[in-house]
Amino acid sequence: MPDLSWLFSLASHFPLDGMDMRFMQQALVALVLLAPMTAALGVQVVHYRMAFFSDAVGHSAFAGVAIGLVLGVDPHLSMPLFGLAVGLLIMFMQRFSALPSDTVIGVVFSAVVAGGLAVVSRNNTIARDLQQFLYGDILTMTETDIVWLCGLFLLFVLFEFLAFNRLLYAGTSGIIARAHRVPVAFFEYLFSALLALVVMFSVWGVGVLLVTAMLTVPAASARNFARTAGGMFWWAIVVGTSSAVAGLALSVQPWMGTATGATIILVSCFWFLMSVVAASVRNERQF
Amino acid sequence: METDTPAIIFDHVSVTRSGLNILDEVNATVPKGSCTVLIGPNGAGKTTLLLALLGEVHYRGRITLSGGRGLRIGYVPQKLNLDRGMPFTVAEFLAMGVQKRPLWLGISRAAREQALALLEQVHAAHLIKRRVGTLSGGEMQRVLLALALQQKPELLVLDEPSAGVDFEGGRLFCELLDDLRRTRKFTQIMVSHDLGMVAHHATCVICLKRRVVAQGAPRDVLTGKVLQALFGMHMGLICAQDHTHAMPGTARQNKGEHHHA
Repeated sequence: MPDLSWLFSLASHFPLDGMDMRFMQQALVALVLLAPMTAALGVQVVHYRMAFFSDAVGHSAFAGVAIGLVLGVDPHLSMPLFGLAVGLLIMFMQRFSALPSDTVIGVVFSAVVAGGLAVVSRNNTIARDLQQFLYGDILTMTETDIVWLCGLFLLFVLFEFLAFNRLLYAGTSGIIARAHRVPVAFFEYLFSALLALVVMFSVWGVGVLLVTAMLTVPAASARNFARTAGGMFWWAIVVGTSSAVAGLALSVQPWMGTATGATIILVSCFWFLMSVVAASVRNERQF
Repeated sequence: METDTPAIIFDHVSVTRSGLNILDEVNATVPKGSCTVLIGPNGAGKTTLLLALLGEVHYRGRITLSGGRGLRIGYVPQKLNLDRGMPFTVAEFLAMGVQKRPLWLGISRAAREQALALLEQVHAAHLIKRRVGTLSGGEMQRVLLALALQQKPELLVLDEPSAGVDFEGGRLFCELLDDLRRTRKFTQIMVSHDLGMVAHHATCVICLKRRVVAQGAPRDVLTGKVLQALFGMHMGLICAQDHTHAMPGTARQNKGEHHHA
């Protein structure tokens, strides 16, 4: 396992009370890795209209853990793998089914939620973990999780470097892109796989209920701030990452004492309000 | 210009969706270098035939392209279902297809110059800094044409390019296409509802009503009889009065496929 202590010692210099504690350092590192990924992928989620897809993958987290526990597999492994399988299954069904895309997602969504609940109802020991999946807890991220997150981050950078333009093409019009010899299916599967993995890690952080917000709110704000597609990518990262850090800092203040995930989303919603004002000043439509 | 060599051969092409025959045994040939226009009433299967050509719908029969599936195709859709508020400039729209470097690292000088050169060819260089979402129907069409030309197409496929554009805009767009086809020597296949435009610009017409009703040069095909078979009585009356577009008695009609008269 790679040694990440240098990363945590770097995080300990962050000017915030409690940063001398390891779990706080881990939480900060996890957020600084996770937030830019969700924000940047969110730009593509908005462009591709895939918010419902991410929601469905997020909701498969509980079934992933439940199946892991039943089969005796570490939930930290079974959850992301199950999410990946659900994401790829949705993409596959969308491509080969005559049903509208949101109907396909709706069916898979129901199946994974019902599957998760069915397993839990047979096995009460898992039920107490349910709350963590609903609300998430970034403070419980383990060092192993963070090593995986670092690997995922490298993949993400590589993907955005190689696939950003092609995904923009495919998102603009699949038919044009295919006619113009862009391997649309390949990039779409790759994107769904990466998105599914990032969503699953986000569930640890902010919970099932708020995972879609991590993807869409920074992208929606960036849409108002930016003037170019390239600019939107950077604005989303700025909004997402600053919200994550500020949300963590605020949530641990004694006078706040709020859940970290919820606080992060509230900060990014504040960013969104500011973006609406900025767009109004430029006389553009904001919503 | 147009030669006798076929660029595309549709050989007994049929498309069935939910038990309904959308295309029924379509046999047609698109000559190389031609401006071939598909005409027909709504629901005749014109767009479906283009989508079959692009490999977007499942079909029975055979579509042979000269040059095979490696043929460079440029496609201009009727309209783009785009989020109009999305920050996305025309320069980025054209650079996304050619630039290796991701657009979040900016547009390279070479990609910007190429985008500008393409826009100049479609008389739209002034649009380079505009947002794609703010373009009018006619402007969007030119930008989509520029994107298709970027492919250096041997075959240009257009689905109703003059829909949503005023008469003058449509005429200018067709003249632009004529010029480009002459200089770049591509084959052009398009869907159109504008029979005046078809009579003026097409070199080959395919009349489609699930089957091919007639095909050939416009002056041979655009007859009162064919148009009546294609569009019904109402159109027949109009065409009977308008002899500039309807020259009866010279159509090469496909035997046995003229069953809607």
